[in-house]
Amino acid sequence: MEFIAILLSVVLVNNLVFQGFLGICPFLGVSRKVDMAFGMGCAVTFVITMAGAITWIIMHLILHPIAGNMFGDKLALNFLQYVAFIMVIASMVQLVEMYLKKFFPPLYTSLGVFLPLITTNCAILGACLYIYMKPETQSFLNALTYAFGGGIGFMIAIVIMAGIREHLLFSDVPKPFRGAGITLLVAGILALAFTGFTGIGK
Amino acid sequence: MTVVMAAIVLFALTFVFATLLGVAKEKLRVDEDPRIGEVNEALPAANCGGCGYAGCADFAKAVVEQKAPCNGCPVGGSEVAEKIAEILGVEVVETAPFKAIIRCGARTCDKLGVVEYDGVESCVEANVVGVTQGCSYGCLGYGDCCDACDFDALHMVEGKPVVDYDACTGCGACVKACPRDLVELVPFKQDRMLVVACANREPTKAVKEVCKVGCIGCKLCQRFAGEVFTVDNNVASINYESYGGEETEEIKKVLDKCPAEVLLYFGKPDPEDVANLEEAEAPAGVS
Repeated sequence: MEFIAILLSVVLVNNLVFQGFLGICPFLGVSRKVDMAFGMGCAVTFVITMAGAITWIIMHLILHPIAGNMFGDKLALNFLQYVAFIMVIASMVQLVEMYLKKFFPPLYTSLGVFLPLITTNCAILGACLYIYMKPETQSFLNALTYAFGGGIGFMIAIVIMAGIREHLLFSDVPKPFRGAGITLLVAGILALAFTGFTGIGK
Repeated sequence: MTVVMAAIVLFALTFVFATLLGVAKEKLRVDEDPRIGEVNEALPAANCGGCGYAGCADFAKAVVEQKAPCNGCPVGGSEVAEKIAEILGVEVVETAPFKAIIRCGARTCDKLGVVEYDGVESCVEANVVGVTQGCSYGCLGYGDCCDACDFDALHMVEGKPVVDYDACTGCGACVKACPRDLVELVPFKQDRMLVVACANREPTKAVKEVCKVGCIGCKLCQRFAGEVFTVDNNVASINYESYGGEETEEIKKVLDKCPAEVLLYFGKPDPEDVANLEEAEAPAGVS
């Protein structure tokens, strides 16, 4: 029950993209076609889940117990979390890149520069930092659920966006709004629509 | 103490991840033909798409996989073709470079039935309107081809596009840009090539009504030099496979007999013409 609550919360209510305004760059950059957006969503979900799990291990099993005991202060090496998290995320992205290049070359070429740019996707770093800050995600399985849900939330957001943008191609958009303008408007309206989920779960 | 501990923790983490990635790199290695990289190096890196592939890297891959010919890069020409052939260890057949010609030689003053047009200054738009000039086959003169050219090789002169053959690489961007399909790529076996500068498929009377320099489809050229010229749909065309650019007796006769001024030389200007032009433009001696 707890897992479902966390999952619902991060996918619908506190969606990283719509409520946290994280990961806007790939959200706008790779949402031209649904299949590409889905591929991007899968890659981000994988990276975010792995990074969430590994950063939890680093924080709770290495930084806090080992370093904490040495100084008698649990938060002594807290400043290292950003550096360590970024390293974990970058390594995971490298892994995904190699994997895609080997097994899905068409997806690899179509994602192009946005694949290595997952490294700097703030949704991922944001999710890892949130996991550490929220009281309900202190246990490992809860943290894993939260990270996975964050990825799914990102995927839902980007796939909905791509679906709308595929239809936008054929609609008669007023000239000043064409391109980035209408895309940002749509993103805003989508975010507004997602506030309708407030109150579900936690 | 904190600094030392931080350094130790980070070094340990880095070491773990570096090992992980190193192992993954070996396990997930994609074997790529090293020649692809070499061919890519030899290409001009213009990424113009003139070869029909998405970019130079894509073309390099196709060449190594023998899906594309060594001389498939129109920008690099024979020099690049030789380099690629050397990398692949094959012989390259010498070919003439393909360059753009325009199958309409009408200047603004040669066109009849030109009406005032206040619309968007673009051939694509004017072609949709359709009635900006009498000839519905000829050049519209708004220079879409010049805008499409990445190499600054096309300029509008007196209402018709003129190709700078030193700059033209034959990438074919202008061919795609022309809404009336007037631009063609032909093999320049010589510096100057003969071109039928008209694409009007109407019969004689209709052509005369819309243009002073249109091809009337009289078939005289076909009669004198049937190997080179064919007349189809009331317009002459040159078979560039049999026409080598030489001015043979037959072609001289055709040039002499052609009643319309549609047979033009494209390419580098005739040295004689340049001399005449310079003489005419030179200021008269002060006396």
